[in-house]
Amino acid sequence: MKQLLVFILFAAMFCWLMFSPIYKHVLVIRQALLQQEVNYLLEVGASGTYGYIDGSMIAESRLRLTDYGFNPALLEYEVTSTSGAEGGNASEPLPRGVGLRLKLTYPYEQLLNIDRLIGIAPPPEDARIAGRGMRMSEYVP
Amino acid sequence: MAKLLFGILMTVVWWMLHALQLDEEAAMGTLNDVKLAVNSAAHAAAQQLDRDKLELGVLTIDYDQAQQTAATYLMENLALDRNLQPTAESLLESAVEVRVFEVLGEDVLYPYSYHNEQYDYEVTFNRPGVVLIVHVQYPALFGVLAPIEWDIRSSAELVY
Repeated sequence: MKQLLVFILFAAMFCWLMFSPIYKHVLVIRQALLQQEVNYLLEVGASGTYGYIDGSMIAESRLRLTDYGFNPALLEYEVTSTSGAEGGNASEPLPRGVGLRLKLTYPYEQLLNIDRLIGIAPPPEDARIAGRGMRMSEYVP
Repeated sequence: MAKLLFGILMTVVWWMLHALQLDEEAAMGTLNDVKLAVNSAAHAAAQQLDRDKLELGVLTIDYDQAQQTAATYLMENLALDRNLQPTAESLLESAVEVRVFEVLGEDVLYPYSYHNEQYDYEVTFNRPGVVLIVHVQYPALFGVLAPIEWDIRSSAELVY
């Protein structure tokens, strides 16, 4: 009986130990996905055809990220440009040579709360994981 | 007792493996991000036409402007400050060093083959262009991995 109890205890402990740090991969993958999305949006937005990242592109991007399990309402897109122009206005594309900047952020969503068990404080409430980038616009009118 | 010892030992080994895996994953991600940043910096730098010389019919790149542009794009893409030191938001934890920044202008004959023995880099230009080699250190998350440093090579041509 004692043997059995020890076996169950150890088996459970080992399973927990082996799989508990997996949640950190979620963070790594989320960060990578945000960065990938930023790269894609910039690649398209800064290309010769567009020169901007407007609301419809952002709406599509939200849909894409929803497929990966992001909550679309929590995604925040910040489009700016080096010239001070909007960058998100389809009727005023950025001319060639101007930098198009995008920052995409998402909250940690209590992913690291479990770290408190081993004494590591989770990041503050308002901290966000981010993907960012700047590409030169190639749009020629 | 022996089982307990075995348990503790296994715990250490497993968590080290997890740390190693996570660190390697994050390192590949960082390398990819930095490479993209360097590519976009080189591309933007290579588009800085020297307008004064263009009036004379010479196609070439304005060195100062190109250098400034490359620094700006590195700064913006990697969240660095003016001295290419990482800010709090950056993926990196140590300064990015620009090891090679070369502008190939009108004084060479195209197609021109650029060689750099020191960084083992070779590229052929058909037009004026920019070579940018940047040295980056990966900030290990756990210290299980040996320190990783990369020389990231990139080049771009003037597009018109």
